[in-house]
Amino acid sequence: MLTPTSPTLADGTRIDDLVNLATREVQMRALSDPEIYELEMERIFGRIWVFLGHESEVPSSGDFIVRDLGSDSVIITRDKSGEVHVMLNMCTHRGMRVSTLDAGNTQIHTCIYHGWAFRPNGDFLGAPVEKEQMHGKIMSKQELGLKKARVKLYGGLIFATWNIDGPSFEEFLGDAKWYYDMLFQRSDRGLEVLGPPQRFTVRANWKAAGEQSAADGYHTLTLHRWLGEVGNYSKKGEGEGGGGDLSPEMYGSEVSSPHGHALRCIDLARKIRRLTGKDPALLSIEEKLMALPPAGMTADMVPQLKVHLSEGQLQALTWMPPQVGGIFPNVLFGFVYIPQADGTVVGSVTLHAYVPKGPDKLEFVNWILAEKDAPPELREKMRKQTTQLFGTSGMVEQDDSDTWPHMTLGAKGAQGRKMTLKYQAVYETGKPEGWPGPGIINEGFTKDDTQWHWWLYWRQLMLGDV
Amino acid sequence: MSQMQPGQVVPIGSPLYNRVVEFLYVEARLLDEIRLKEWGATLAEDLIYTAPLRETRPVSQMAASVVRTTQHYDDDWRSVMGRIMRLTGTKSAWAEDPPSRTRRLVTNIWVEQGDQTNEFLVRSNLLVTRSRFNFDELDLISGERRDVLRLADERFKLARREILLDQAVLGTPNLAIFL
Repeated sequence: MLTPTSPTLADGTRIDDLVNLATREVQMRALSDPEIYELEMERIFGRIWVFLGHESEVPSSGDFIVRDLGSDSVIITRDKSGEVHVMLNMCTHRGMRVSTLDAGNTQIHTCIYHGWAFRPNGDFLGAPVEKEQMHGKIMSKQELGLKKARVKLYGGLIFATWNIDGPSFEEFLGDAKWYYDMLFQRSDRGLEVLGPPQRFTVRANWKAAGEQSAADGYHTLTLHRWLGEVGNYSKKGEGEGGGGDLSPEMYGSEVSSPHGHALRCIDLARKIRRLTGKDPALLSIEEKLMALPPAGMTADMVPQLKVHLSEGQLQALTWMPPQVGGIFPNVLFGFVYIPQADGTVVGSVTLHAYVPKGPDKLEFVNWILAEKDAPPELREKMRKQTTQLFGTSGMVEQDDSDTWPHMTLGAKGAQGRKMTLKYQAVYETGKPEGWPGPGIINEGFTKDDTQWHWWLYWRQLMLGDV
Repeated sequence: MSQMQPGQVVPIGSPLYNRVVEFLYVEARLLDEIRLKEWGATLAEDLIYTAPLRETRPVSQMAASVVRTTQHYDDDWRSVMGRIMRLTGTKSAWAEDPPSRTRRLVTNIWVEQGDQTNEFLVRSNLLVTRSRFNFDELDLISGERRDVLRLADERFKLARREILLDQAVLGTPNLAIFL
């Protein structure tokens, strides 16, 4: 049986044995086993920083949204002082959900069962029939507040952890922060959501989606092959080869992280050459930024980049910017350049969370974002194009959500569970010459290293070895 | 027909009402049988095709339960035709290849005269059962459709469709099918 100190499954298999370090394999069982799932809820979602939403979803005092932190419902609030709180959505009296809603605004969260009431910061206000003191005398009012998580706002993104004394958010991001800053800390006023997130259920283990978010570039060639068959992606510049071949898009650099974070930094040279008709190597950073501003920004906003980012970051941003990737364990980001029929480019900015809902079920939560300073026409275009390509009805991602359930089902088979996921395409390149950024980075055609690092951190957390 | 006022109910069982029902039944069959190009030909070129998000809100804030900022579908004629092109013109639209077996049940059809004399506001209830692969679960997609049908050259075309889905968290892994 599972105990906190001995990660051994009921049949005697050790968690350690699920990941073969020598051959870079992971047992398929990891995608279906209920015991492994329960351990993940404690050792991963119970301990590390987890993304829950964006502060623009709770702009005003009293605003709240209800989300999931691992397998627990939490209420995210903004109090009168403007501070954002994350609390377990469970009444401290009898365990009823304090909020049964998705969102709203209130200065008092009252449980509908017996009427215990809580402030937006989680403090216990009192219980009905004050003179009878129905919360008793055994525990103080201070002890009866909602269970609070530790909160960090980063570029407007709301992260929380139950690990109150654990590593800081900055330690959690590590070297990857240099890259995420290019996305989330690049402008004066920052990003905001264009509305609440799409939500839908996929009958798949959360890790089928989670490990893919760790920069699996390779699947694009086959699973998303249609992009090369029809539409604007299949149109190529002169001398760039046939439209059906997506493989040129697979070159760039990939950032791995000892904490499982991953970023695919895809080479912009071909796009800039198409837009300017010039060799990108002969253009200055400024000229490149003006020709192709970062996804979701306009040429007008380019001066803001110089305020917030370093020279090295600007260099990376105009050479191989992070376009897709993940934040461990269950977040995917997309800062993508979408080609238009007229040859121009529209950015798309998305964040997904793959929320675990049991060993064989996940909730796909998809936020669509834009810069607060972006003009209304651009925001409108970004909203439409992102909806049409990603999320519920997205022509790209509808193929992903139809794939993961098969992996999960297969992982239940008596033979299938003993088979492995393989991460044996190993980079042999290292950093591109002159690369300004930190961390583990490799140049060339997309490989498996980022996803392998994702599993290494999963293993480390599951072993309690952090 | 020309004397009808905007908002006036088209009586159930009247010849005009029956033609609307016929349009919706034919449409359901085209979609169930995956005759997508034929379905595409019934769409007006100024089509707006959307599916709002739903949020769980208290009864006092019913209107807020329908979210039209971000949506599940946020399409126009051009993008819907793009979707049809992907599904019919490529060899790798995996989300519907192999295709779902679907059954569109269309009921409670209510027709009113629109603002234009040749336009009609049509509400209907929709239940789609969707079967994927050899899975034993049927995905259920239920909602209300609010359409504008336009009569031109004696044929109806779909000019506006809003699908008001009932689930806040959809119980199907994608909307790779039309509703």
